[in-house]
Amino acid sequence: MATVPYHRVNVLTGIKGAAILEKPEQFTKIISKAERPLLVLGPRLLEWSLDGRSVLEHALDIAKTANIPICATAHLKGKLTELEVTPDSVYDAVEIVNVLRDPDWKGVKGEGNHDLVIFFGIRSDLQNQCLSVLKHFAYKHLKTMTLDKYYFPNADFSLTNVTKDKSWKAFLEGLKSSLQTKA
Amino acid sequence: MSEKKEMKELVKELTKTQEEIRELIKAEIEWEPVGPTPMPGITDLRSWDMRLLKTYKPWYAPFCDLCCLCTYGKCDLTQDRRGACGIDIATQQARIVLLACLMGCSAHAAHAGHILEYLIDRHGPDKKIDMGTFIEVEAPNIRTVTGLKPETLADLKHAIEYVYKEIAHLLDSTHMGQEGSALDYESKALHASMLDHVGMEVADIAQIVGFNFPTSVADTPLVEMGWGSIDKSKPVILVVGHNPATSTVVVDYLRENNLEDKVEVCGICCTAIETTRYSDKAKVIGPLSRQLFFVRTGIADVIMTDEQCINTNMPEEASNVGSALIATLDKVMYGLEDASEMDTDEIIKRMTEKKEHFAILEPAKAAEVAAKVAMKLAPQRKKELLSEEEAKKLAEKCTDCGMCERVCPNLFSIGDGITEMAKGNFELMKGLFNLCIGCGKCEHECPQGVPIFRLMQAAASWETWKVRAGRGAVMDTEIRKVGAPITLGTIPGIIALVGCSNYPDIEDVAEMVDEFARRKYIVVLTGCAAMVAGMTKDKDGRTVYEKYPPDFDAGGVVNIGSCVSNAHISGAAIKIANIFASLPLRANYEVIADYVLNRVGACGVAWGAMSQKAASIGTGFNRLGVPVVLGPHSSKYRRLYLSRKEEDDWTVMDARKRELVDTGEPSPEHIAYVAETKEKAMIMIPKLCIRKNDTPQGRGIKLNHYISLYKKYTGGGLPEDLHLYIRRAADIPLVYRKEVMPYLEKIGWKPKEPVGLPTFIGTYPSKVPIDSVIH
Repeated sequence: MATVPYHRVNVLTGIKGAAILEKPEQFTKIISKAERPLLVLGPRLLEWSLDGRSVLEHALDIAKTANIPICATAHLKGKLTELEVTPDSVYDAVEIVNVLRDPDWKGVKGEGNHDLVIFFGIRSDLQNQCLSVLKHFAYKHLKTMTLDKYYFPNADFSLTNVTKDKSWKAFLEGLKSSLQTKA
Repeated sequence: MSEKKEMKELVKELTKTQEEIRELIKAEIEWEPVGPTPMPGITDLRSWDMRLLKTYKPWYAPFCDLCCLCTYGKCDLTQDRRGACGIDIATQQARIVLLACLMGCSAHAAHAGHILEYLIDRHGPDKKIDMGTFIEVEAPNIRTVTGLKPETLADLKHAIEYVYKEIAHLLDSTHMGQEGSALDYESKALHASMLDHVGMEVADIAQIVGFNFPTSVADTPLVEMGWGSIDKSKPVILVVGHNPATSTVVVDYLRENNLEDKVEVCGICCTAIETTRYSDKAKVIGPLSRQLFFVRTGIADVIMTDEQCINTNMPEEASNVGSALIATLDKVMYGLEDASEMDTDEIIKRMTEKKEHFAILEPAKAAEVAAKVAMKLAPQRKKELLSEEEAKKLAEKCTDCGMCERVCPNLFSIGDGITEMAKGNFELMKGLFNLCIGCGKCEHECPQGVPIFRLMQAAASWETWKVRAGRGAVMDTEIRKVGAPITLGTIPGIIALVGCSNYPDIEDVAEMVDEFARRKYIVVLTGCAAMVAGMTKDKDGRTVYEKYPPDFDAGGVVNIGSCVSNAHISGAAIKIANIFASLPLRANYEVIADYVLNRVGACGVAWGAMSQKAASIGTGFNRLGVPVVLGPHSSKYRRLYLSRKEEDDWTVMDARKRELVDTGEPSPEHIAYVAETKEKAMIMIPKLCIRKNDTPQGRGIKLNHYISLYKKYTGGGLPEDLHLYIRRAADIPLVYRKEVMPYLEKIGWKPKEPVGLPTFIGTYPSKVPIDSVIH
């Protein structure tokens, strides 16, 4: 049986579901291959913490290590500013997806549209819907990935449902290490 | 005759001719010249739709990758595949959106048709439409769309029959193998949703006239809300749904039999609002999210359902707690025996002794039965609410498996609340109950069979609140007063909080109302949103209805009424064009919509939108040029209308100079938009009230709110797109000038001339001449 998303509202009704990746190295390999990746960060990152460390900080570690530009959605920019991080762009979730679906969009750096978009921290039903937009209307020019602890069937690459925070933390830290090694 | 010609003849026969339409709308009565689109058909406003869709392109988020509507399927539509009929994924989404809008439109139209027939039976077809001293433009939607100025109930019938006809044509287009363009489906969805506003207007005008609901008055009574307001020592009748045909008769029956103080009548969802428009003794339990919880308390001796947004399992729910159920409308029969012709005593006997439920479609009989059954059942009521000790014991069954969170439409983890409850801590559950949208899926899925809704009885607040009874249409006198400040921008906007109760957080709505009323926006509300706005109190114990004046004016908080009263909100926007700007309404939709889009700073907020009716209400606002902000879950509606502010073409015609002007100003930026969080909505709402017509003073006021709300809810400096909305230095709010000027210099901002009379007319092929927008 195919993996069922943690939130049942996201159950796949179709054939093309995300590939489940388990090891940080698998994620690293795909990220490293991308020419113009983008990390889309959502406000749930402000709510989650792992052993007292904000998941937002894990996300920023990954962005910094792999030198991936950031798009901040919703009201995340304020917190980033507090952390002295300037996001490369600010859009809401539906807006960034709206531009990403256009192959001719210039991207957040003005260097061309992105070929890999990593979503992290958007409310899961909205995130899965945003991934649906790209799965259907941008599949020719970009791939999508998620780092949340749930399975997102509309992504190209997703974690499975990670029920233990310990495992998720290990994954995020492992991803950072793996990206560091690759760098 | 060729097959093609035969088909043309057939279409001609089936379609009303212009002459017939002119007869229906009484074109000979020249209250205004008949405009270009009387009773428009599917394609008559298509060019306007295409103009809108050029800037606000559909954004599709398929909720399902397949089409399963015919036996060719299931067809996989991923990666540019087409279905066996040839449809692609975008067109399929648009088709589903059209179906949703048609469901919404037909729900209101059928409601309107039913209530109209009922009231014509009661008062006769010649009953005059009188909306009171201060309302002369009695039916702005009907006038603008159809060209008809309804004077009697019979005239309203012409309007609703037109809506019925269009629904049939539109629904036809969703059959397999027909429409093949997503944009044309969108145009049809916009058409269906415009019709929805006509249907809603018919319904509410009929109700106001036929039931003598409040009209031409702002200060309607403050009525009790919350289950704590129910006197449980009395028999309790609960009405659920939207159509007041029966609930008003229940009130009549109680009045006539001197029982009004002896029997409690309370309501959930829009019927609650309608009933309080009829009797200030009726009570509002709350929005739809409170339905299942309240029903499961068993406090109601009799539950009367009418139509729309009712739990479809109501007979079983009623039986489980010993409540009697009467289905009062043909749309919701539940498989029950139709007792409309049965002897009243026999029905009462079977309901009280055999615990049977019935459908009774005759309102007077249903009312009598409800009252008598409630009085018989109330003394026998043995429905004890759960004590904290009992709740704690039941909560101990929870293993915190997380299943409740996994099925919750709003992704809440109720399991945490239950496990805390098992430890004797009820605080978390109290908070979760307030968030709960009341669907009951958590309890249904719980593998341990924990009766979650019963547990909530021990955690739920028994607080009571006040909600202002719905007041119906905005008065012409009010429009006269605010028309100039709204179009000039000195009243920064009209915020309409509408729709259902699928909220990310129920308290968001009251916070939004408070934030914008305090800032002197005009805040109007309808339906479940109107109820939940009243379910929060400030530190002085006041709800927003007690804190702010009920006037349609700066800083006013106005409960317009139920779902069908949404037509009065679109109607208010239309009336600004007519009463303030003197634009004729009659069959003149395109000009009016263009005026609203470009000059009336209004923004809808359907923060808890859930139903198909919300889809059509919102899309109807979109066609009229009113942007709508939706809650984050609303991406499941599958379609938004978004622009790309930096790249799209923001050219308008300056009607005075007759010149095309590239404004570069994305106002309004989107017309159907999902905000990810309340904080984001708080920033987007004031931005979507910006219009190209704003004077420097008005623009300065609007930008002041935009910047200040941005700083409050996001932080991190100035809005990234601020420069796009500053035309000249005079637009910059004084208080932020020191911060904004260096920013503008840094990014190389250049001033530009404001547009004198901005309009889309003249920027796309249209039969409407540009002169028609000049007033």
